[in-house]
Order: sequence, then C-alpha cells, then structure tokens
Amino acid sequence: MAAIATRRWLRFRCKLCLTLAGQRAGPCGQTPSCRFYSGSATVPKVEGANITGIEEVAIPKKKTWDKVAVLQALASTVNRDITAAPYAFQDDPYLIPTSSVESRSFLLAKKSGENAAKFIINSHPKYFQKDIAEPHIPCLMPEYFEPQIEDISEAALRERIKLKKVKASVDMFDQLLQAGTTVSLETSNSLLDLLCYYGDKEPSSDYHFQKSEKSEELEAAEENDEKSKKADHQFGVTWRAKNNAERIFALMPEKNSHSYCTMIRGMVKHRAPVQALNLYTELLNNRLRADVYTFNALIEATALSVNENMEDKWNNILELLKQMAAQKVKPNLQTFNTILKCLRRFHAFGRLPALQTFREMKAIGIEPSLATYHYIIQLFYHHENPSKGSSLIIYDIMNELTGQKFSPKDPDDDMFFQSAMRACSFLRDLELAYQVHGLLNTGDNWKFIGPDHRRNFYYSRFFSLLCLMEQIDVTLKWYKDLIPSVFFPHSQTLIDLLQALDVANRLEMIPQIWKDSKEYGHISRNDLKEEVLMLMARDQHPPELQVAFADCAADIKSTYESQDARQIAPEWPANCLNYIAVLFLRAGRTQEAWKMLGLFKKHNKIPGNELLNEFMDSAKASSSPAQAIEIVKLASAFSLPVCEGLTQRVMADFAISQEQKEALGNLTSLTSDSDSDSDSNEGK
Amino acid sequence: MLTLLLLWSPTIIIKSKREEFELENFKNTQKQCFESLFYYFALYFSFFFFSLMLLSRTKNNAQRYFGTNNVIYSKKDEQSAPTPEISKETESQESVKENTKKDLLGIIKSMKIELSTVNVQTTRPSSRRQLKSVEATIGRLQKAPEGVPKKRTKSLNPELVAAASAVADFLPFDKQTTKSELLRQLQQHEEVSKAQKDGERAKISVSTIISDMKVAKSATSRVSTRPVHQIQFDEGTDNYMGQKTDDLKKSLRKNMLKGKRLNIFDLKAVTEEAPETETAPSLWEVEFAKQLAAVNEQPLQNGFAEMIQWTKDGKLWEFPINNEAGFDDDGSEFHEHVFLDKHLKDFPKQGPIRHFMELVTCGLSKNPYLSVKQKIEHIEWFRNYFNEKQDILKESGIQFN
Repeated sequence: MAAIATRRWLRFRCKLCLTLAGQRAGPCGQTPSCRFYSGSATVPKVEGANITGIEEVAIPKKKTWDKVAVLQALASTVNRDITAAPYAFQDDPYLIPTSSVESRSFLLAKKSGENAAKFIINSHPKYFQKDIAEPHIPCLMPEYFEPQIEDISEAALRERIKLKKVKASVDMFDQLLQAGTTVSLETSNSLLDLLCYYGDKEPSSDYHFQKSEKSEELEAAEENDEKSKKADHQFGVTWRAKNNAERIFALMPEKNSHSYCTMIRGMVKHRAPVQALNLYTELLNNRLRADVYTFNALIEATALSVNENMEDKWNNILELLKQMAAQKVKPNLQTFNTILKCLRRFHAFGRLPALQTFREMKAIGIEPSLATYHYIIQLFYHHENPSKGSSLIIYDIMNELTGQKFSPKDPDDDMFFQSAMRACSFLRDLELAYQVHGLLNTGDNWKFIGPDHRRNFYYSRFFSLLCLMEQIDVTLKWYKDLIPSVFFPHSQTLIDLLQALDVANRLEMIPQIWKDSKEYGHISRNDLKEEVLMLMARDQHPPELQVAFADCAADIKSTYESQDARQIAPEWPANCLNYIAVLFLRAGRTQEAWKMLGLFKKHNKIPGNELLNEFMDSAKASSSPAQAIEIVKLASAFSLPVCEGLTQRVMADFAISQEQKEALGNLTSLTSDSDSDSDSNEGK
Repeated sequence: MLTLLLLWSPTIIIKSKREEFELENFKNTQKQCFESLFYYFALYFSFFFFSLMLLSRTKNNAQRYFGTNNVIYSKKDEQSAPTPEISKETESQESVKENTKKDLLGIIKSMKIELSTVNVQTTRPSSRRQLKSVEATIGRLQKAPEGVPKKRTKSLNPELVAAASAVADFLPFDKQTTKSELLRQLQQHEEVSKAQKDGERAKISVSTIISDMKVAKSATSRVSTRPVHQIQFDEGTDNYMGQKTDDLKKSLRKNMLKGKRLNIFDLKAVTEEAPETETAPSLWEVEFAKQLAAVNEQPLQNGFAEMIQWTKDGKLWEFPINNEAGFDDDGSEFHEHVFLDKHLKDFPKQGPIRHFMELVTCGLSKNPYLSVKQKIEHIEWFRNYFNEKQDILKESGIQFN
C-alpha cells in the first residue's frame, strides 16, 4: 500500500516539475512547447514538440490518500537498529530487558496493565463518561457489555447473542419458549452458533494475551499425541451430551442445513467426533446439504475417531471428499490443510497421501498457504531418525516458495518458518537455511515468524547452524546482527558459538562472549561456564591474552561466590576449580591461584595432575621449595598417585634442606602405605 | 602392507591450472578435450605417502583414529607442503597416460571431498570429547550424501556441463554414466578451489579428507608400476551407491508436484462460479477472521508503525494533517462549502436583496458546522421567502426576479 502510494506520489511530483520546467522554457523560445508527457517522466523531446504553440496543461486529479499512507512510507524507511533493543521494549532504560525471561515478563506486564485498565473501565462505565477528546475517540470510551433490553422478546435474545452472553441467551430462549412465542429460525440458528462455538460455556474475556497463552498450551498438547486427550480435558471445553446446544437443537421446530452444520462443527471443535459423524448421517437422511466448513470439520472428526487404523481413516477421508465432489461442494484451502494436518498423525503412512493431496490441491488451482507446507515438512521430518536417509522434499518446497510474499490464510501459517528451519538444521544444510531466511525477509513475510518462543526457536536453530557450518567471521557478523536486537540467545547457542570460536582458533573472543552471556542472564549456567573455562585453560597463550583470560576467570569465580551469598547450594565443579587455578597461574596471579588450592580442600574436590605440575612449575620459577613441598603435601593429602612423581621432581629441581627432605620422605611413605592399604583392602 | 595416502597437493595444482583447462575444454575438438581432461586426472596421482605407525590396525579402527585426531595431520600438512616440488613431481607423472581411462575415472571418483562436513570438526584433542566426536564423525559420514546433490547440480557452469556431455558422447561407454562422472569431477574441482580460497576452510577440509580415508589391505602384492593400485578409499563403492540413491531421490523429488493425485475434484467444477448467497457472517466466520488477523500480529517495529496503529484505533489525527480531519460531508469538497455564489443565480444582480444574499452566503461559507446540503437549503429558504413576500417587495419598489 505504502509503496504504491509513494510511487504515485513521486510520479505526481515529476509531472509537476515537468510542467513547471516547460512553462519556464516557453517564453525563452528555446523550446516552444510545454508539451507534457504523462507516461514517461523523461526529458521532453524537442523534435516532436515544436508543432503547435502551447497545449493544454492537464491538471492531475486530486489524489486521495489512504489515512496511513504517509506513515507507511515513513515506516518503510526505518531499519532495524542492531545496537538497540526492539522497539516494543524501548522504555525506561532501567526496564529494558536483557534476557528472554525478562523480555517475556516485560511484555506480559505491559499487556496486563492495558488489560487491567480496560477491565476497570468496562466494568464501571459510569465513572468514565467524560469525553475529553475532540473529535471523539470511540476506543477510549467504555464498551457496554450489559444488555440494554430488559423485557422478554426476540430482540432481547438477539442482543444477548450479540453480546455473547451464553447463559443469559439460553435463559431468554427458555423464557420465550415458556411464554409461547416462537423464535425465528434465524435467531435460533445464531443462538446455536454461539452455543456450539463456545461449547455451551461463557467465552473467556477477550483479552488477547491470556487467550494466546491458552492456545499455545493446547498446541503443545497437540504435539504429543499421547497426552492430547488428557490435556484437552484440562484446558479445552469438551462436548457434553444433553448440553444446551443439543437441547435447543432438539426443541427447534424447523431446522435447516445451517442448524445441522453448526452443530456438527461445534461437536468436532469440542472433540465429539462420533456424535458429529452420526449427526452428519441424520443430515443426509433429512435431504439437506452440508457446506464446505462442515466437511472440513467432518474430515477432522474422521481423523480423530479412536478405534480405527490409519488406512481405514484415510479411506473414510477419501469417501468424504468423494461425497463433497458428488454434492458439488467446492473444497477450499482449509479442506486440504485439514487433511494434511490430520495426515501428520499417520507418520510415515501419511506421506504418499499427503503428496497426492498436495497435488490435488495444486491441480484444482487452490493456492497452498504456508501452513500447507508446514504440515508437509512436519510429516516428512518430524519423526525422522537422522541415521535413515531423509527426504529432500524441503528443497522442492523452498524452490517453490522463494521470492513469494504471503498473506495470512490459515491460523497455522505462522508455524512454517520454525519447521522449515528445524528441517534445515536437521539436514545440516546452511545454504537451505539461508534460503529460508531469505524467504523470511521477503516483503512482509517476517510477520509470519509467530510469537516470541517461535522466533527464539527459529533464530537459535539458525544461529547454531551458522556456528556449525559458516566461517567464523561471517558467524560473528551474524552474532552482532541478531543478538540481542532480534533474540536473546539460549546458553546452548552460546556454547555452539564458543565451539565455533574454538574451531576457528579465535579464543581471544572468549572474554567478550562471557561478558555478553552474563548480560543475557546465563550467569548460573554451569555448562556454559565450564565450557568458557575449559577453552581458556586448555592451551598456553601469549601473556596479554592470559591476563585477559585470568580476569575473565576471576569474574566467573565471583559468580560462584555470589551464589554462596544467595544461599544457593555452592556447586563448585572440580573442573572449574582446576581451570581457574591454572588460568591464575599462567597469568602470574600466584596468590589467587594458591587461594584456589585452598578451595579444593574446602569443597572436597581433587585437583588434577596437570594443575599440580603447573603449580610445581610456578614454584620452580619463583624458586621456593616451601611451596613445592606444600604441593606435595596437598597431593598426599588427597593420596594422589602423582605424589611420588612430584616428590622426585622436588628432590631433583629444588635445593631443599634436610628437614624438608625428611618431611618429603614421610609424605611419600605415607602415600605408599595408604596405597598398599587400599590394595590389600581390595585384595580381601 | 598398509599404506595411507594423502590427497592434498594435487588440489593446489588443479586450482592454478583450472582456467587453462577450461579454455582448452571449450576450444579444442572433442578428442583433444578428452585428452586434456585425462591429463588433469593424471595429476591427481601425485600423492604423499604417510607410512604410519598404526598400519597394522584394522580398517575400522584406523578410520576412527583419524576421525578423532585429524588435527595433528592437518597441522602437519600445513607445515610440510612444498608446493613447487609437488608440481615437478606431478609433471614427471605425465607418463601415466597409458593407463586405461576407466581405471582413472574409477579411482578419481572415489576420492571425494565433502565440503558439507567441514563444520563438525573441533580441533580439540581433549580425550573428554573423544567419544562424542567419534559419534559425530560417524553421523557425518552417514549424513554426508544428503547435502551433496543439491550443491552438485547447482554450482557447475553450464558451459562446462555442455563440454562434459560432449566428451561423454564421444566415448564408447554408457554415455549417461560417463557424463555424470565427468560432471562430478568438475564439481569437485570447483569445490576444492572454493575451499582453498579461504585458508580456514582448506585446513579443515584437509582434515576431513583424511578422516574420510580408510586404509585397506592390498589383496595381492601386485607387480605394478603405479602405487595407485594400492590405494583404496572407503568412499568408493558406497558413494557410487549413494549417488544412485540420490538420483533416485531426485527423480522422486521431481514428482512432488507432478505425479498421481487424488483425482476426486474436477478443475471445472471447482472453478465455476457459484451463486453467492448474501448472508451475514456467522460467528464462526467472524472468529476465524480474527484468528487469521492474529497470525501475523507482531510487536511494533518502530514509532511510525505505532502511529499507524494509533491511526487505525482512531486515537491519532489522520495524515496528511489538514483542517478537514474528521470532517466528512458525503465527500463534498471544500470549494462547495466556500464558494456559494453560484447558488445566487436566481436572485437579482443588484439591489438590497442581492446585498443581503451576499452577506448570507459569506456567513454560510464561513460556517463549518453545516453540510453543503444544509447551506443550499438555507439559500433556498430565502428564495422562497422573498417569493412569498413579492407583494411587499413590489410596494417598496424592489425588484425580485
């Protein structure tokens, strides 16, 4: 819309300029004409123009502007700022979220604030009557949810239906019936609509955030087929036999196909597939016809029905489709999407039917939506075992889709990018991932990435793939680009990045990454911390780098200590102690390193052999036999096998006094004794 | 006797001579063309021999060893890579030409470089991860064929493809296989040269090459002038099969769009226009539309987007801002509101009535609260009024009409 408007506007500008230029040129006599070429905004041709004097100037018609055209044009000039938080989070700097948990609670807080305000206004409309806005702004005024018509009449019933008051409308219907008034077919149908859509329950208040939460849960439940039944009982509304919808349906003196259809749809929606199929037979017996939506619901019901195998179910679906064709009911996108969605449950069996369905829909000219492809990808990649040869269908799909722009056609359209990226990371195909990402950035397609958790999933898969396959420089560029302005990384994502840095031998980046991950709230992730320390401590590095690493190690050490203060169980993994001590030693911070040795004792962890050797090296460098002996003592205290070697080293490398020698002798004999003890113990 | 051969140096030579090679391909006759191909294939046989300590190990063990420790070897390669020497050596090998073509192709075919596997390698020799990386290596080997076919068909220059098919036509063997084999070779050249553009990749790809190689026993100690016969690469046979299944898959893939369909619906029946019955949207439809609208709802991207949202909510003055905002008078334009003189045609051209009416229109044109229709009605009212009062006007000597 905006682009078109802008182009139009530009053309208009050009026209103006040209006419002005022409008029100015006329009196000078150089170009005797003010001819104006409307089609092409090029320079007027001189040869063709000198025929007659001044021609009529066509005044362009007034353009009517869309009210948001200017804003859309302006909005399209704004690019994402990779150094800033997303616009939705821009607030008081103190409140800007730095981790995914914080960002979630930020959004929740904002939304629930709005909802609370709305709730108060709507529940006490009489206090919010002052209309200060001029012109009047309707959306700021309280909405009236209370029925205004008090008497018992069909109009009152219609009003209650419109306000979606399920219970009130049923009561009104009953009162009307008792009073002997007949309710018109149209009104009772819309009452049935209401009852069937909400499953004879009051609709949950229309506050979006809660609603989407709930549907997510449902979705998650749907993912695992096993749990779905239980989950539905918990979260969704189930169809109860003899509920108001069925009662009113039975009471209705005349029923048309709409009444039947809405009943069937309601039953399927609230998981009563058997009743739905029975009602369909009844509908056929009454020589009525179902509409396409009802068939869609029936297809779902067929797939839902319990005790039938996949082949029977598929045959039943085919049978329904044949009936559709026989009754000249035109299938729509939802028909095929429903079939594919149901075929997902059939796993491997569903593949061939799915392809056939897809071809059928292509053949009859129904344009697939993103959800269609999502179902196919799920069918082919979801339950795949990586060791088996996997399908290549995603390449076909991507070839088909590249460059297209989409508009929402199915409620599941926003699942596509997630599942496509999952397939990419499954196939380990970076090129394909780039292709998917390119598609995401075509036109307004980015809007289909779905809610927050799906975006996070998509980007962390994408980034992990980058870490795995791409050159480190490019990966780091993506890192800067995506994090944190698009998503906050998971700790596993950061570990992937660290490993990529390791492969590319760019360990000097590690302190920076640690700083970032601290910011993104991974301060208590032990696996991440261990990875960072391990990579830093593994090899020797030039001194400047060692100093930087030691600083980073000290920082990580402080995170463990601050945890102590917060009374979380002080879990000091032995590896981390080792790494930190080594890093201190290498950076020449011997004092702190020795303190680390103290921590080993305190937390009852055993220092590694390499660490002790390094300590010995440092003792030698500072030529302090006392330290060396201290090390040997420590080793013997843990009764380490390395003790003997260390003792020998001390004997050979240091100038030690007689006393110290004796002390050493005692230590070694002790350890050998304990060794032999343990040996003999084992022997018994 | 177990030998391990490293295929590394030839790739550099091939890179340096590739352009020349392509030129020849295009210019020469088909026969010459084949010979030049052949010549470059011969270059492949300048190998380094690494006689290693683990020679007595079994095939699998050896492979595993390489899989986890390829760092060492890749580093060695880097240090010991006297390129010029190699090229000399390879030139001396030109005499290899007398070998049969088939053999060459077969052997070269078996030396495959998987770019797609570059990634997983970590240079860390830590024993802690050994098991993991072994698994990774195995996983990679199994996965490798999937990623390849895509690249293979994609990056080759069409002219090269044409040249290769020309060569294939010239040969007496099965044309299709020859062609595909040639193409695959060319593909590898491309991949190798690509890989060497960036040192990072080359380094790792060398390590993967090593990891993908197996040491095999030569069945008999053949009396052969070439050591090539002692080389076997594990990829050889599997890969050929792998390619076949890939081809199979490709043919299946083509069928995703073209193939059997359900054949239930008829295109005509579906596309023909049905008489649309106008009914108010039911609750189902309204709710479905709401769901659809929610699908691509995203947090706002910038301030302008927020202003768009506000405009749609009606909270903001509409752009472009003018003094007609929120003023909707059945689409009438401002000039209809302001220039009301045209409605005074029926009134006298001069005199007190004219004067009065001009004052009336002036007042009306400044009034923003009346619609154009109301303004005209107002003037109309005066016309009727003066008409009714004709006699009084006549008495006072004022002309009307």
